[in-house]
Amino acid sequence: MAISISSLFKKEVVEEGGKLMAKQRRFAYASLIPILLYMGLFTLFPIVWAVVMSFFDYTPIREGSGFLGLGGANPFIRMDNFIELFTGTSKPAEVFRLAVRNTFLFTTLVLPLNLAVTLPLAVILESINERFKTLFRAIYFLPAISSSVALVTIWAYMYAPGWGLLSMMFKAVGLVPPKSWLQDPNTIYFGVPLAMIAVVVAHVWQDFGYNLVIFVAALQSIPKTLREAARVDGANTWQEFWLVVVPLLRRTILLASVLTVISSLQVFVIFQLLTRGGPKNQTQTMLLSIYENAFRFANNLGLSAAMSMILFMIILVLTIVQFRILRTEWEY
Amino acid sequence: MTKRFPLILSLLAIASIVLTACGGGAPAATQAPASNEKIEIRFWGHQAPAFNEANQAKFDEFMKENPNVTIKYETFPWDVFIQTIQTSLPAGNTADVILIPGGYTCRYAAGGQLLEVPADVMTLEQAQEVFFAAPLGGQTCDGKLYGFPAEYNLEYGGAYVNPALFEAAGVAYPPKWEDWDAVVADAKALTQVGSDGVMTVAGMHYTNSDQLFTYFLAGILEQGADYFAEDGKHFNFNSPEAVATIQKLMDMAQKDQVVDPIIFNADSEWVGDSFAQGHNGIGVLGSWYAGDAKLAYPDLKFDYVSLPPMMGSDYKFASVGGWGYVVGKSTQHPDIAWKLAAFLGANQENVLFFNSRSATIPAMKSVAADPKLVESAPFLAPVLPILEFGQYQGNLTDPDQLAYEIVYPTILDAIQGNLTAEEAANSIHEAANQMVDAAE
Repeated sequence: MAISISSLFKKEVVEEGGKLMAKQRRFAYASLIPILLYMGLFTLFPIVWAVVMSFFDYTPIREGSGFLGLGGANPFIRMDNFIELFTGTSKPAEVFRLAVRNTFLFTTLVLPLNLAVTLPLAVILESINERFKTLFRAIYFLPAISSSVALVTIWAYMYAPGWGLLSMMFKAVGLVPPKSWLQDPNTIYFGVPLAMIAVVVAHVWQDFGYNLVIFVAALQSIPKTLREAARVDGANTWQEFWLVVVPLLRRTILLASVLTVISSLQVFVIFQLLTRGGPKNQTQTMLLSIYENAFRFANNLGLSAAMSMILFMIILVLTIVQFRILRTEWEY
Repeated sequence: MTKRFPLILSLLAIASIVLTACGGGAPAATQAPASNEKIEIRFWGHQAPAFNEANQAKFDEFMKENPNVTIKYETFPWDVFIQTIQTSLPAGNTADVILIPGGYTCRYAAGGQLLEVPADVMTLEQAQEVFFAAPLGGQTCDGKLYGFPAEYNLEYGGAYVNPALFEAAGVAYPPKWEDWDAVVADAKALTQVGSDGVMTVAGMHYTNSDQLFTYFLAGILEQGADYFAEDGKHFNFNSPEAVATIQKLMDMAQKDQVVDPIIFNADSEWVGDSFAQGHNGIGVLGSWYAGDAKLAYPDLKFDYVSLPPMMGSDYKFASVGGWGYVVGKSTQHPDIAWKLAAFLGANQENVLFFNSRSATIPAMKSVAADPKLVESAPFLAPVLPILEFGQYQGNLTDPDQLAYEIVYPTILDAIQGNLTAEEAANSIHEAANQMVDAAE
């Protein structure tokens, strides 16, 4: 039986449809309650608490007199923590400013190295036989899903001075290895301490699997016709890659860059276990400073919270800048 | 209805935040329980096999004597342990009894987080008769006793020696050094360098963080000076004695070349494992490592011998105090908690057992004088005679920051040839006093 369009707009039908929608909406909202409670408890509250703490001279060791131990022995000090970090002469402030520079240096080294390794590797992986593609993808992704602590322990043995694997390999091919890969403050290449280079290499090895998988997926989505058209026009392999594939991957490169920068700015395990910020604070990073001031030195959670706020602002600004630079206005 | 639901959900989210904030905090301790009431006492300690085994044995004994008490023993890796204590303090769910590391008791006591030892358990005057001054100092804050020292932390006055390396180098074993020059002479003979000029075996590994800090303070004291300024809070780290101590530490590496500080330091070839792996002939480290070394390296042959004073003729040193048994203020059963703490830390027989099993130096004078101690832990013998010459390190404001962020990195930098002794002393002096000023 034909249904007229006008019948769909009869009042009774609209009201019936409205009730169903309301029930569905109630179900959806009710389903969100557990996750909202979870996020409120474990995500939102810690963030708000950290923001509040950054304006206090707060340590859990002292018994405060106000809400959640604030006030009294843990006084409100307005912006003093931030002023101290930017201009203070105390050791924690000086080390933190150095840590900011080191963190930027680390990120500046990791990002291009990561992209330079993963992008060509993804193209090669994409071009090989399907059987081997899955196998190699799994192999390259293994470090990304393995325990960070276990991997760093292995790298620590590789970097051991004298008898470590890297030093032995150098000697085996007739080269002289550095006296210490991780603890020599006087070995610097192009302004970058050797310890920092060593950590960058270990980190990129551990981390490149993520971007590799992202790029492989993105390459698969590029229409073959575009690449075939380039070949028909006489482009060689390099020209096809650089002039066709890379521009088409701009959005993916943006995504990979943003994720890599965000994660690089927050790397902790590898620095804590390999170098602990040494030698001479050459690998001291912001996360290490936050951790040490919160849990090792003076338990100054207020100062550590201020440091984490600064890190948050840096990540936010960098993310916005990256989105502006790498955005595209076309689709395929 | 549809408009109200997002509002209700938002209110729920806010409620969850507020409930989280208002949660935590233990209710005040109740009155003494009836003798047959089941009580659980939580005990926190760090993960160290020798310590854990010794403690567990005594817990079993305590529970036999007090059948209504169950002791729940929770241990944590070292790095996590301090964080666990700190995060539990404001939450009010710290363990009843904690075996707390040296130097931390007064930090927490000053914040009102620990209970004072009740007078009917032990008074400070009684404790001064029973315990050595240095470890007791670590548990005494503003003239009040807050715990029982479990051991006398000593990173001074003793070293591990490897008989195989001594024999290979043709150096007399066991060593009996009359003075520090004799130590250095043997260390020079024990040093091994590869064909590429890189040191493979350090003659003497002393460039660890705890050792450099301990010997820096000790060097100043041995020369008859003090590292505190007149006000007792600020420091005097650029005195001629401080400079001379740093110079000595530098000379041993740079002139005598008994250690390569770039390869051997706290973060690379840590002294204990380095010694156990045969990478140093003389490892300057506290006797506590003997217990762990025996467990981790059962085939390792070694001895622990006494070292002479480095900068003078008399032993003088500062100790961080040592591990101590304290009771958190959030305990529901303070009487039982103190009973357990006293059972472990103030009972001579139990203290002897713990120190013997863990190869830790006793804080209790009578245990140190007990011949059974040396029979069961012969590694302690070399350092027992010097215990009376130690003093508690005092209120260093933030001992960890002073030791690990200021003193150790700066002295290591000087030993590595990047600073003169004067520059290092001045840098330490300035940074340390800034730390004190910031804390005020």
